[in-house]
Amino acid sequence: MTNSLLYIRNLSKSIGSITPVKGISFELERGSCTALLGPNGAGKTTTLRMLAGLLSPSGGEIQYEGGGKSGRDWQKRIGYLPQYPKFYGWMTGMEYLIFSAKLSGLSGAQARKRSLEVLDTVGLREAAKRRIAGYSGGMKQRLGIAQSLVHEPSLIMLDEPVSALDPIGRREVMDLLSRLRGEVTILFSTHVLHDAEEVCDRMVVMVDGRIAEQGSWTELREKYRQPVLLLEVEPAAREEAWLRTLPGMPFVESADIRSRTAALAVRDLDQARNALMREMSDSRIRFQRIEAGTSSLEDMFMKVVGG
Amino acid sequence: MRLFWVFFHKEVIEAARSYKWIWVPAVFLLLGVMQPVMMYYLPDILRASGELPPEAAALITTPPPEEIIASTLSQFSTIGLLVLVLSAMNIVAGERTSGTTEMILSRSSSVLTMMTAKWAATMSLLLLSFALGYAGAVYYTYQLIGPLEWGTLAGAGAVYAVWLAWIVTLLLPLGAVFRGPAAAFLSLGIAAALTLLASLLPSQLPWSPGRLSAIATAMLTGESSPTFAPALAAVLLIILSTVAASVLLRRRPLSAQA
Repeated sequence: MTNSLLYIRNLSKSIGSITPVKGISFELERGSCTALLGPNGAGKTTTLRMLAGLLSPSGGEIQYEGGGKSGRDWQKRIGYLPQYPKFYGWMTGMEYLIFSAKLSGLSGAQARKRSLEVLDTVGLREAAKRRIAGYSGGMKQRLGIAQSLVHEPSLIMLDEPVSALDPIGRREVMDLLSRLRGEVTILFSTHVLHDAEEVCDRMVVMVDGRIAEQGSWTELREKYRQPVLLLEVEPAAREEAWLRTLPGMPFVESADIRSRTAALAVRDLDQARNALMREMSDSRIRFQRIEAGTSSLEDMFMKVVGG
Repeated sequence: MRLFWVFFHKEVIEAARSYKWIWVPAVFLLLGVMQPVMMYYLPDILRASGELPPEAAALITTPPPEEIIASTLSQFSTIGLLVLVLSAMNIVAGERTSGTTEMILSRSSSVLTMMTAKWAATMSLLLLSFALGYAGAVYYTYQLIGPLEWGTLAGAGAVYAVWLAWIVTLLLPLGAVFRGPAAAFLSLGIAAALTLLASLLPSQLPWSPGRLSAIATAMLTGESSPTFAPALAAVLLIILSTVAASVLLRRRPLSAQA
């Protein structure tokens, strides 16, 4: 038996004539934190809804460790937070958590005890007796995470937990996720690479219903590490025209040319550096800045997503 | 069964926090009491206005107690039913359109339990309101106008309650498909259409649940008509509606992505 908690094989979903998820496979390790990354409309939400048992897959299978092929018993061991969590505004935070816990099969006393615990975890103890209608966006999001934890699930799935929040609310939720790491397996979707990098150790990049790339950060950094030369020139017509000739140079693998800057991905840094210096002195280019470095994950993400 | 009580408890509290337990019964009580009191004082009021010739005034008499109860029922059929439907229209539609179902259904796959609890909570409100209004009408009729026969009253009340129940239950499947106001409008429309059809073609549609209100009225005035078929049809319709609502909600638990 491997240490995987969840296997997904060839999962797909068609809704009418569109197919938001076109056959994806991945697995989640117990205790890991995985980011489901992708641009808007990549099928992240549909995937999570299928995993939470809200939508039935059109094809493929979802298999939870120890469980059968159906997710029914598993719903008790999953915590799910939708992208736009909606609560009953007339309930208090505490009442909502107790209600949720009871729905997942906890007894009255247990539900109360666990609700107080998770309220402490997410820092909403003071607001516990207030109506949810009066909560701020960040508080609602934290309450959403609290309800996903209240029944002590082994896996929590969070759909875009920080996308709709202001910087302070975002900080609160990210800190909370970092604290939860290790205690529970986390799968969360986001379209912000930086958020994924901050708390997760693995990621799955979805583009247009398919998995474009997956792996741990170190693996991916290794795989996509490429020397890059960054160049910035004086704002003048001659320099700008010269920049546009760069993609044709033999040492350039790929280039991103803006009006005054160029980012050149190269194979051999030393060789490229010499060639570029020679080129610049020959053409008497007035540069402002030259920088040598390696590509960031941001570049990798853009590359994978851009196709 | 535990889940049922969890859901039921939630529905009851929700209704309490929006004061449904106060204003819906209050409307029914008011409607129920107003009818006998009005009928009792109507001749006096007309005489006091003084513009009626005495011959005409002599024609206006207080109707018999059974007729007063029957006219109270017709009050319930219009304003009372409207209030019930409006108070319950968002019970399923609201959850779906506001998106609260998403987190609830990711926990418990038993939509049927949830739907049955919603139905039971709505029926509790309906029965309480109707019982209160009916009792008010009977009490004032008894005090002001004359004695009534308990057996007939109970029978007519029960038949009438079933009539109210199937119309309000229609809100569950309609709410699983449409928004609240549309569901309310449609359920009232279906009720009106069925009732009208049943009164236009009584012999073709002896089993139509739309006849129940007419049957209740007829029972009060002493005519008897077969109750079994329409009542059975109404009960079947209630069960079918609840099951259909669960199936529909299970299939499309989420409104279009916001």
